[in-house]
Amino acid sequence: MYQAESAGVLLRGGRAEPKGRNARVPRNVLLLGAVSLLTDISSEMVATVLPIYLVFALGASPLQYGVVEGLYQGGAALVRLASGVFADRWQRYKQLAVAGYGLSALCRAALLSVGVSVGAVSGIVLADRVGKGIRTAPRDALISLSAVPERLATAFGVHRAMDTAGAMLGPLVAFGVLLAAPGRFDAVFAVSLCFAVLGLAVMVLFVGDRRGRAALDRVVRPGLRSTLRLLRTPLYRRLVVLGAALSLVTISDGFLYLGLQRQMDLELTAFPLLFVGSAFSYMVLAVPAGRLADRVGRERVFVAGYLLLLLVYGALLVPDLGLTVLVVSLICLGAFYAATDGVLAAAASAVLPEGQRGGGLGLLLAATTLAKLAAALLFGLLWTVAGLTTATVAFAGALALATVVALFVVAARRPQEGHV
Amino acid sequence: MSKRGLIFVAITLACVMLAGGWVLAASRDAGSETSKARVEVEADVPPTVSAPPGSGRNAPVRVAGRVLVRAVDARDSRLNGQVAEATLGDGIGSATEVGSLACQRVHMAAEAGLCLALAPSGVEYRARIFDGRFKTRAEFPLTGLPSRARVSPSGRWGAITTFVSGDAYAEAGEFSTRTTIIDMRAGRPIADLEKFEARKGADRIDAPDFNFWGVTFARDDDTFYATLATGGERYLVKGSINERRVELLRKNVECPSLSPDGTRVAYKKRVGEVEDWRLHVLELDSGRDVALSERRSIDDQVEWLGDGTIIYGDERSVWAVRADGGGRPRRILRSAASPTALR
Repeated sequence: MYQAESAGVLLRGGRAEPKGRNARVPRNVLLLGAVSLLTDISSEMVATVLPIYLVFALGASPLQYGVVEGLYQGGAALVRLASGVFADRWQRYKQLAVAGYGLSALCRAALLSVGVSVGAVSGIVLADRVGKGIRTAPRDALISLSAVPERLATAFGVHRAMDTAGAMLGPLVAFGVLLAAPGRFDAVFAVSLCFAVLGLAVMVLFVGDRRGRAALDRVVRPGLRSTLRLLRTPLYRRLVVLGAALSLVTISDGFLYLGLQRQMDLELTAFPLLFVGSAFSYMVLAVPAGRLADRVGRERVFVAGYLLLLLVYGALLVPDLGLTVLVVSLICLGAFYAATDGVLAAAASAVLPEGQRGGGLGLLLAATTLAKLAAALLFGLLWTVAGLTTATVAFAGALALATVVALFVVAARRPQEGHV
Repeated sequence: MSKRGLIFVAITLACVMLAGGWVLAASRDAGSETSKARVEVEADVPPTVSAPPGSGRNAPVRVAGRVLVRAVDARDSRLNGQVAEATLGDGIGSATEVGSLACQRVHMAAEAGLCLALAPSGVEYRARIFDGRFKTRAEFPLTGLPSRARVSPSGRWGAITTFVSGDAYAEAGEFSTRTTIIDMRAGRPIADLEKFEARKGADRIDAPDFNFWGVTFARDDDTFYATLATGGERYLVKGSINERRVELLRKNVECPSLSPDGTRVAYKKRVGEVEDWRLHVLELDSGRDVALSERRSIDDQVEWLGDGTIIYGDERSVWAVRADGGGRPRRILRSAASPTALR
């Protein structure tokens, strides 16, 4: 009942492609994309109204909510790693992903229950984030195991495009519901629950489970130790180091938007548009970037993505930047995500043994997430001590240096060595 | 169709019916709200006491004058916001709803008012500038959730503080505050306090974690006081609108409110726990700091009712307390919050 092939043609924009199985986006990847799209509509609907709900309906001080969220950030990375490792150990990628999606769907139902307090909502938000942490690594492992090795980056690109589409649709749906029923947050939560249940249904009913063949032959079952031992594999280690090092010199989006907004002297209400602009660019460019990565090399596209980020930093240093520069910056920021997020997962999948994709992807995710957290702290500190311009120049310099080194590292490899 | 396909179609139908039905029912409900929160004047509002402040530790708080409040209903917050005017004094009092304004925060001075209200969409807030007859003269959208609103004594300037959350891809869920100065005549924001030059002694300072809130204006239409949080400290700052600058004065002063004579600020002081505040009054020249007799934690930007009385809300009722630390707090209005003393 699901026309995977024709949908695949649509996603490729009808361009001429070499015939054969490799040209198609696997049905399982599209299904996982559909799951993410539905789930993201559901979670972004809630994320959009939650601050107003807490303060308007529950009378919370917003700062209370911020504390909970902040505390969780570091832990999230470790949940992802653990979930990936367990998925490998049991070779149950689908079941763990289902558990993660299921937990998030339960959280929507919990929000609907009567007599919800500020503390309870904070708990629900936390549980929802744990659910997200649980599903990420097994889901990425499933994507990687569903695609042919030559088209891994395209597969991840398709998934990320659908995922981002959901993130952009969510707030619109929430807005529509509240327009029909002003002030009725319960209606938003009910509709959100329905999208979550639909996503879960697609996951349970249609997404096919995949198992890594290699691991089944092993005597020793994969665990945390064997996952950490993956770092001895030179190709994988290089990706982890590359990913973590570049993340360490990345200015977080929050600071980038703040910087652009200050530089432009933008109206405060235009702030959310910055996010929408870059998300739209990410959505449109995710598939082309993935296809390019499959053709010319994933590491190259990944590093090239950071060159685009460097352009955005440059814009931060231009005094009085105009609207054109801002729009180009936002396109570049979206393109940066398109060239790095899914592409890095694809590159890692290509060098990881099939049975250890969950743990390997989880570890890579944990390393880059923690590096980004450290970068955010460092940038904030530098801004405080030396000012915005100096902090930006320092990060731009460090990023330029890191990117040049990364370019040499990547270029030193011959393309014959495989699609990485 | 396969069995799985049938199950999926069934689930989809159930979801569409649940979602559609819920939204439909909610949209019908939303139009038929009849009950509204009503502001009540406390039955035993104390009579005006002519004794000057400080004349006795136990003299009751002096409560007289007109107060603008917003109605609140502790049980159903969707009924909140209707603006009402209460007249207090000599043991009698009355409260009347004025205009059709419904605000999350409201303040007014010299026939110029500022109302932070939920937009019809239900997902964003708008600022409304209204006149002496509570008619909206200008409005503009707000970023974030209303936290504080203040109008300068002459009605020339306004100040709005909102809570802003991080975007999905940014540091998730982290809240920060935005404070903007409003030109009440032109009906639009003119400056973001984070863009003002900040000085601590002779040093110019700047940090990404700058958060301003709780502006209070002096009578000269230029000087203001506010709170600046940075590096884990909350400072009282004194600023100039014309010169676009602020100067850090003193630590641990939040939501200052300048007395009508301009010599003192009433504020909430954080004590120990993260969300635990006590009301204090600080003499600006001498630095003398007095704790008020309200023992509960109060999260409000308080208001002066004359030079001897502080009024404030606890999101259910409006209370009054002596500004010199004596007496006991008295509840003066029920189902009311966000009090403004009208002069």
